[in-house]
This record gives sequence, C-alpha cells and structure tokens, in this order.
Amino acid sequence: MHIPDGYLDAKICIATYAVVIVYALYTWRVLRKKVSQYTLLSASVLAAGIFVAQMIAWPIPGGTSLHLLGAALAGILFGPLLGFYVMSLVLVVQALVFHDGGITTLGANILNMGIVGVVPSYYCFRLLQKLLRGREKWRIVAGFVAGWTSLTLAGVATGLELGLSSVFPYSLEISLAVMSLWHAVLGVVEGLITGFTVEYLYRVESPIVKSSRVVLEEVHTR
Amino acid sequence: MGILSEYKRSIIVILLLLLASPLLGIVIASRIGYREPLDIVAEKLGLEEKAIEWSPLRDYSFPGLPDTIGYIVSGLVGVVIIIGIGLFLSKKIVSGDYEEYS
Repeated sequence: MHIPDGYLDAKICIATYAVVIVYALYTWRVLRKKVSQYTLLSASVLAAGIFVAQMIAWPIPGGTSLHLLGAALAGILFGPLLGFYVMSLVLVVQALVFHDGGITTLGANILNMGIVGVVPSYYCFRLLQKLLRGREKWRIVAGFVAGWTSLTLAGVATGLELGLSSVFPYSLEISLAVMSLWHAVLGVVEGLITGFTVEYLYRVESPIVKSSRVVLEEVHTR
Repeated sequence: MGILSEYKRSIIVILLLLLASPLLGIVIASRIGYREPLDIVAEKLGLEEKAIEWSPLRDYSFPGLPDTIGYIVSGLVGVVIIIGIGLFLSKKIVSGDYEEYS
C-alpha cells in the first residue's frame, strides 16, 4: 500500500503533505506535556515491531500477497495521536532508508496509513468494547473488526488519491474499485492478526499495554 | 540499555520475527510473485515508479550480502534506527520523568 514516487501528481502530494503537517502539529501540541518518557519509548518499540511485521509478506491464493499494516494495532493501543506517531515513525524510516514508499508521496502514505488507518480503528474498538460492556472475551472480536475497518479504509483512501491524481485520466473507478475490494478481502487477515495480537499483549500485561493505558486515560477519555 | 530491559520480551519477539521474515518475505514471495493490490492498480493504470536512488538499503537489501541475509541485516538496521529515534525523543523532548508502572 506504500505509494512510490511518480504515482501521484503534485497537487495531491502537496495537499496530503499539508493535512499531515497540520495533524502532526496538533498531535505535538496535545501530547507535548502529557506523554512520559516511558510511554514514548513503548510507542517506539511497538513501531519497531510493526516495521518488522510489515517485512513479512503473506501469500494469498491467487497470486496476491499482503503484509500486516499494523495501523489498527497502533490506534487501538495508543489512540489517534500517539498511534499516528507510531505509524509515522515506521513510514518515515521505510521511505528514507529503504525506498519503501516515495518521498514525494510520503504525505499521502502517512495520511492513509498513519491517520485514516489509525483514527477510525481506535473509535471502532472503543465503541465495540462499550457495546459489549468491556467483556474481556469479546476483546478479540473488537480487535478483529477494528483491524478490518482500518485496512479497508486505508485501501479506499489510497484508491481515491491514485484515482484523483491526474497522472492517468479516467482512473478513479478502476483504482477505487480495485483498492477497496481487495483491501476489504485482505482486511480479514489484518483483523485476525490485530485481534490476536491485542489479546496477547493484554493477557501478558505487556509494558506496551501498561503505558498505553496511561496515555489513553490522560488524553482521550475525559 | 537500562530503560530498554523493560521491553525484553517485546524485543525478543521482534528479533524472532526478523529471523523468520526472509522465509515469507523473500522465499515464498518470489515463488508466487509478490503482488499487492497497489501493483494490480498500477498495472491497470500504466503507472511507473520514478524513484531517485538515495539509499544503499533499497528494498531491504544490504550491499554485498545475499538476499535472505541482507533482508535480516537491513531489517535489523531499521529496528535499531526506530528504537534509537524513540530513545532519543524520549530523552530529549519529553519533559516528564521516567515513570515506573508495575
């Protein structure tokens, strides 16, 4: 889902960069005073885990493959703001060090995977937790749905940008249809991995979960 | 490493995933041909990548190493950079002190 250089026109590149910069400034303003050293380090360790998980390509029958996105994991655990930091850290290192995703398209990639993939997954997970009255045995289901939602929406956003870009005319229908459909299908795998990983981290009381609780209580549940 | 010892278990999992990554990321991917939905769209639209060469670690390879070992080594470089940035930011930027939650 990492868009390389040359796939998007200048207008889309600039617009997506602008959205990401505004969101980053807002994140910085809110989190600056509220995040402890411990929390920021936990978020960075999660980023390293997501980076490695993304290197593992899962073969899908029919000649397609995918890797975990991890945006839902970041969103569920650290919320819309610190989750954005987690994914941005991954995406910036991937683009600058490994050519995975372009530099002109870095704004679009962060928008798709660091905002669109992160923010709804957090609210989706919380809402389901509330509806299921926080029952622990349903946590894995909430994680599954949030993971599926995250990958599908990120796919839709990527399809929209590719389609709206003037690099190739009349392409919105194709790119939106292909990206949405495929990611809705592949989202099942993302959902499963997200659900199981969230469940595992909660079960073992990982330091990542402990510090994520603190940031969620401090920043997002007032 | 002091502060990182808290994350021993997470770091072990990360390293195990890293060791396993070429198996799925390179061996199987090259056998079935790595194709994600974005590649399918790019092919349908006739999009071409216009990349500028700037990094020796392009596509998770490492100069002078075979694909599989290079994949692990460049992945390790990525992990060290990411945790390094995290350590740097958590020491320099955050005003709050190190807190223990146990």
